[in-house]
Amino acid sequence: MIQLLVNSVITFGLIIIVTISFSFIYKVTKFFHFAHAVVFTSGAYFTFLFKVWLGFPLFIAIPLAVACSTILGCAMDLTVYRTLRKRKATSLVLLLASLGLNVVIQNVISMVLGDDTKSIRTGDVQVGIEIFGAYITPTQIGIIITSIVLVILTAIFLKYAKFGKAMRAVSNNPELALISGIDSERTILYTFALGSALAGIAGILVALDVDMTPTMGMNALMMGVVAMIIGGVNSITGIVFGSLLLALAQNFGVWKISSQWQDAIAFIILFLFLLIKPEGFLGKKIKKVSV
Amino acid sequence: MEYILHILILIGIYIILTMSLNLLAGYTGILSIAHAAFYGLGAYVAALMALQVHTPFLVNLVLAIVAATVLGAFIGIPTLRIKDDYFVIATFAFQVITFSVLNNWVSFTGGPMGLPGIPQPNILGLSITEHYQFLILVVVLCAVTFFICVRVVKSPFGRVLKAIREDEILAQSLGKNVSLFKVKVFMLSAGLASISGVLYATFITYIDPTSFTVMESIFIISIVIIGGTGNLWGSVLGAVVLVSLPELLRFVGLPSSIAANIRQILYGVMLVIFMIWRPQGFIGEFSFRK
Repeated sequence: MIQLLVNSVITFGLIIIVTISFSFIYKVTKFFHFAHAVVFTSGAYFTFLFKVWLGFPLFIAIPLAVACSTILGCAMDLTVYRTLRKRKATSLVLLLASLGLNVVIQNVISMVLGDDTKSIRTGDVQVGIEIFGAYITPTQIGIIITSIVLVILTAIFLKYAKFGKAMRAVSNNPELALISGIDSERTILYTFALGSALAGIAGILVALDVDMTPTMGMNALMMGVVAMIIGGVNSITGIVFGSLLLALAQNFGVWKISSQWQDAIAFIILFLFLLIKPEGFLGKKIKKVSV
Repeated sequence: MEYILHILILIGIYIILTMSLNLLAGYTGILSIAHAAFYGLGAYVAALMALQVHTPFLVNLVLAIVAATVLGAFIGIPTLRIKDDYFVIATFAFQVITFSVLNNWVSFTGGPMGLPGIPQPNILGLSITEHYQFLILVVVLCAVTFFICVRVVKSPFGRVLKAIREDEILAQSLGKNVSLFKVKVFMLSAGLASISGVLYATFITYIDPTSFTVMESIFIISIVIIGGTGNLWGSVLGAVVLVSLPELLRFVGLPSSIAANIRQILYGVMLVIFMIWRPQGFIGEFSFRK
């Protein structure tokens, strides 16, 4: 029972970073950036590259990898999305392009580094520390602390930094923002940078806990999308609730049925939310059509 | 020769898949990434019927179509109310759930081990074992699908679909029951997709869930878009190009270990490039730009 609770907290910590990073990009650009999945994966694989191939110690490899993921995310925006935005592409076109990008980069990773599971863990398998009869490894404690710190930092940053305001302005109305002297293209680029950095960190955290495969990103991203939709797109509180609900449902679902059904549980919840309350449980009602 | 026939048969299977999705994506403007789910459903229904109940091919074919159409209604009626991007996510969810069921319900679907030894088709006493015979069967079913699709898109029904694609509210204001039309075309598309599933299962004689993943769905929608949306010949062209192109690469001497990656990179790159410069595809007419 307590073990399930501890597991839920770990899952929650991972989901919330992905969800926040994804929802930033969604809020500002209004399309589902599926290629976020490979940015997430790339964080883990860049760390692997720097640590195992180039022999850097882990504390240097991680910042370098985060920087590389950030560059990857920004490069996607600069090359593909910006061009599409200039051509007034709809969100569906952007979504399709991001699916294409995701397929390409995921396959490049699996071609260069192989499809097998790679590890950046050091030393032997960690024996968990016992807390109230539940086991938790030092890495997992690290995950929880990192995610709490990151979420609080981003929340503060968005609330008080000028960039946070610019982001909200662009999200609300890009043209009006432009008229008020906000460079919306640059704001979008910075949003991609911030989101990609967070996604890269999340990828590294997952890899430290349970190793990496080239397809790990899609799964993580879908959890992020599910959490974002059930939480309601427009509020951080909603996203926190959504991630929490998803983490609890996944881990406590396993209590009754076997763990292979975790994905199915998540998506059935998503399906129900899309049907019954598509604006999420803290979101405001969206206007259905505009002529 | 066997090899060329093999590829021609695969092309035929993909033509059916692409045309059926084109009805939905190209003609009605509804983007779905759940087509591999219906494709897989057809394959599994046919395989399970043939293996467990020993029913003949034609019965399995009809049953698969019925099953996919009914499931299409079940999925379509609630989800088609959801608007653009969220509908894509809903179909994505359905695709993942389907894969999860195929992969995890081991006692029924064989799970990751798949279903081996699916009998080859036997139509009214005529058993189809050779590649060329199978090609004839595929061509016939392709032609039937093409005929159905042409009749649908040239009919008043098809014109309403195009109207929905261009301006949903206008179509509604002209008294068309938009959601009913959407559900109907979704069911039709699902039913037709299951035909290729049946063909695939009986041709390869082995199926496992990895043939019906999200990636497969993305591949199918890529063919529709690259070939041309809202044009059936575009779907034929797309399927021919995108299925045979990776096979050509094999002659260049690429090792088969990376052939699958190269194939996916190829269509991924094409999808991005087409989205930027030609979102309606080679010979299409609709570009998801409302």
